[in-house]
Amino acid sequence: MTTSFVFSQDCNLTISGKIIDVQHNSPLEAAVIEVVGTRLAAVSDANGDFILSNQCKGKLTLKISHLNCDAVFREIDLESSSSYNFRLEHRVENLNEVVVSKLRVHELSATSKIHSLTELQKDRFSSKGLAGALEQISGVTILSTGNSIGKPVIHGMFGSRVGIVYDDMLLENQQWGQDHAPNVDLNTFENIRLIKGASTLKYGTTPGGVVVLASILPKRVDSLYGKTILSGMYNGRGYSAISNWVKSHKSGAYLKLQGTVKRNGDFTSPNYNLTNTGNKENNFSISLGKNGLQHKWKAFFSYFDTEIAILKSAHIGNVKDLLRAIESDVPLVIDPLKSDIDFPKQANNHYTANIEYTNTSVVNGELHLKYSWQRNHRKEFDIRRGALKDTPALDMALNTHNLISNYEWDTTFGNFDSGVFFQVQDNYSSPETEIRRLIPDYLKTKLGGYLTATLNNTKDFIFEFGARYEYHNNEVQKFYRDSRWDLKNYEAPFRKYVIREEKSQKLIKRTLVFNTFSFNAGVRHSLSPTYSINVNYNHTQRAPNIAEMFSDGLHHSLASIEYGNPFLGKETTHKAVIDFEKKAGNFQFSLTPYIIVGNNNYIVNEPTGVESTIRGAFPVWEYAAVSALFKGFDFDFSYAFNAKTQFRNSTSWVEATNTKTDLPLVNIPPLTINNQLQFSLPNWNSFFVMVNSKTIFRQTQFPNNNFDTTVIEDGKIVTKTVDISTPPNGYHDLGLELNWGPYPLRSSNVSISLSFDNVLDASYRNYLNRLRFYSDEIGRNISLQIKLYH
Amino acid sequence: MFKNILIKSLCITAILFLASCDDKDEPKAINEHEEFSRVTIKVTKEDDQSFETHEFEVEGHDHDNTNNTGNSGDPHDDHAEIELEANTSYLFEIRFYNDEDPNNPEDVTQEIIDEADEHQIFYELTDGANITISSGPGDTMDRDSNPLNLISRWTTTGAGVADVEVYLIHEPTSKTGTSRDDFGGATDVEIEFEAHVE
Repeated sequence: MTTSFVFSQDCNLTISGKIIDVQHNSPLEAAVIEVVGTRLAAVSDANGDFILSNQCKGKLTLKISHLNCDAVFREIDLESSSSYNFRLEHRVENLNEVVVSKLRVHELSATSKIHSLTELQKDRFSSKGLAGALEQISGVTILSTGNSIGKPVIHGMFGSRVGIVYDDMLLENQQWGQDHAPNVDLNTFENIRLIKGASTLKYGTTPGGVVVLASILPKRVDSLYGKTILSGMYNGRGYSAISNWVKSHKSGAYLKLQGTVKRNGDFTSPNYNLTNTGNKENNFSISLGKNGLQHKWKAFFSYFDTEIAILKSAHIGNVKDLLRAIESDVPLVIDPLKSDIDFPKQANNHYTANIEYTNTSVVNGELHLKYSWQRNHRKEFDIRRGALKDTPALDMALNTHNLISNYEWDTTFGNFDSGVFFQVQDNYSSPETEIRRLIPDYLKTKLGGYLTATLNNTKDFIFEFGARYEYHNNEVQKFYRDSRWDLKNYEAPFRKYVIREEKSQKLIKRTLVFNTFSFNAGVRHSLSPTYSINVNYNHTQRAPNIAEMFSDGLHHSLASIEYGNPFLGKETTHKAVIDFEKKAGNFQFSLTPYIIVGNNNYIVNEPTGVESTIRGAFPVWEYAAVSALFKGFDFDFSYAFNAKTQFRNSTSWVEATNTKTDLPLVNIPPLTINNQLQFSLPNWNSFFVMVNSKTIFRQTQFPNNNFDTTVIEDGKIVTKTVDISTPPNGYHDLGLELNWGPYPLRSSNVSISLSFDNVLDASYRNYLNRLRFYSDEIGRNISLQIKLYH
Repeated sequence: MFKNILIKSLCITAILFLASCDDKDEPKAINEHEEFSRVTIKVTKEDDQSFETHEFEVEGHDHDNTNNTGNSGDPHDDHAEIELEANTSYLFEIRFYNDEDPNNPEDVTQEIIDEADEHQIFYELTDGANITISSGPGDTMDRDSNPLNLISRWTTTGAGVADVEVYLIHEPTSKTGTSRDDFGGATDVEIEFEAHVE
């Protein structure tokens, strides 16, 4: 008895950790971790994570091998269950060293599930954009405008409720509006991670979730390496070329360069051309830095430039045009395919420059200091006449300066991170458009601080806490038309802010101050070496954004007039997420139920009436604060039949209700089921096939926002309902991907993939596409991608 | 010490920011020069050249003192009426204006004539009056010799009343048709009146 007790105590340890691909700073899937001299082995999963259980105390040797990398051996003196990060390098001469570091918890969150995209998942969408790449994660969908503009939706939330962080800064990118996609190139960054919820308060307070794009520091060796991805696609007659180069020096100095060029012409749906749907993109980034042992410097500059055509038939004049579009099965404008971009279109560019300093020699930790500047310039071109033909209908420049300093430190009982930040943001809407400003000019000052703590000194439990305070000061200068002013009785509350009156408009200058306080608490409990449970609670306060308070204008493609609500208060949401997970063995799963509550102050946009113009009557949508309840779950599981065959499933469901009216909220993703089978053939180590099957159900929970209009039909005036509410039918999307490689080619490695999207050429419409009234989604697409590792 | 560095650098940056951002100019008021705010139809009796001009303004437009903005519901409430005699021929000349800036009203009709290929005027009538509409003398033709109906000839026969919808269509997909649906494009102006033939 005694012997077995001792044995079980000594051999009950686990070695867990993460395998990271050094060159691409991404988790490395399918690396084999073996204990030399035993038959115990584990394989890293899509997140690069592995667990070796039932290990005995004492010295042992691990062999870490991967198809693309030379095997490395590492001796470990195991005292207690431990976590290790193993960094593997691609098989390149003179670079076959593995770096082992004891895991210091600098993950985004130690108690929430972090979804990392593998290099394969990321590269698959290198030419299609960030939202598409993120959609591979369960619970993430895309809110799109046509087929080239998409923003990520996490657990039914998007826009200001989802943070996109790149290079440690929140992207400040005119997030208002469904048709504003994040202006960031995913190819600039090696590592893309996502948390569904506000479990990291380091970057901001976003109840939906946070997406973090990061690049890794090159090693202190003399080396020159890089990667080039060339893609061509059949639908859209498009191509893209992406190239990354890193020159590192043993002194720690390095230079990274990256460039992206993309071109697409008009796309096609199964039955017709999608006239004016092409796009182009030119991006460039450079970073220069020095990785000293005690001091790290980094300077970064990036330029993102895109021009996106908007489906021609979505340009309409009034609600009768919208009715005609909805009643027609095909778009009302179908022209032969062309490759140039015509009106209507968007032209956006985004500049980023930042400089960063890290001191790693401070007591037990690191001190960071960073200044960052972002400039987002957005132009939207409509179909206009006369001298204004080439003048944008919307032309806004958003400048953001950020200064942030944080200190991360470790103690015996946990890890801590605290920081302070200061932001100044200036929005300028050009009057040259000769169209009244959708978003007023404003100057925003934001400052605050955060503290996060991870306590991991208890066996089997990790606790995490975070808090963030923000002070917002918005100085807004807005013109109100007298007619609107009188209708909404703004005279009493806002007369004191009027600074000028002219041409039937009043200019007000108003300062709005918001103080927000957010916190989170989480716990991760290892039930056994393979099972764990995470519980997280997020209390998030968000200041309303400028669009929610002050937007004022006509949305052409929806034939609706949108008004902000200047009386909105801060939005408080509570989110609770449970994550139950099995992380080892042939069968793995994760079940994530969640609930989000917004009491009395959840901001939505809803129809409130009709406004007459010389174009006819338009429905008016205004922002309002309601009570909301979201409930949903994400379920993922995978089963490895053998080393060469794996099946994965992910299922996501969410329901969101306005609890005051008991009506569903609009634009909530429907039930989605994804199945994926990956297999390779015996003796074909460098080849695999992946079959993807995606089933999107019809959304049955939707509010009725329909309205009536009258038309003349057969000589009579008839009343017709403009059905903007009924979701389209569900659909099934089948994809196939063939991957070869990597194969050595001179001094490089090359891999090739051939993928087929919508193989069955199915015609369908997507509830979350704002242009669903006008056309089907794109049809079959075949893409060829060649990857070169230099 | 780090706190000091931090506070100092924050202060310096704050000063730089404020120095660069202060005294921001007040925004300029924008007049929407492209939108139409007024439409006139001059109805001339061909027999004796007597005429009457009818004005259509945007309901709730800033210059319009009827406080009829928003939520007004049925646009058929207060119909303009155009009285016509039976068995008579009239010329309808439609013109488009922007008088957003009252001191400088603009006649936008010339832009429509200049871009004749991209515009079309269409009158859609309910049953109830016997009226035939054709292009009138002096009407503008586009490149394919399609009349724009800026000047149209209305020939009445028997008495009756019809509802008339007038559309200015931008970038129509077809320049000819018998109902609004046939033309496609985007509706830039939609006004309505009742034609009374007596």
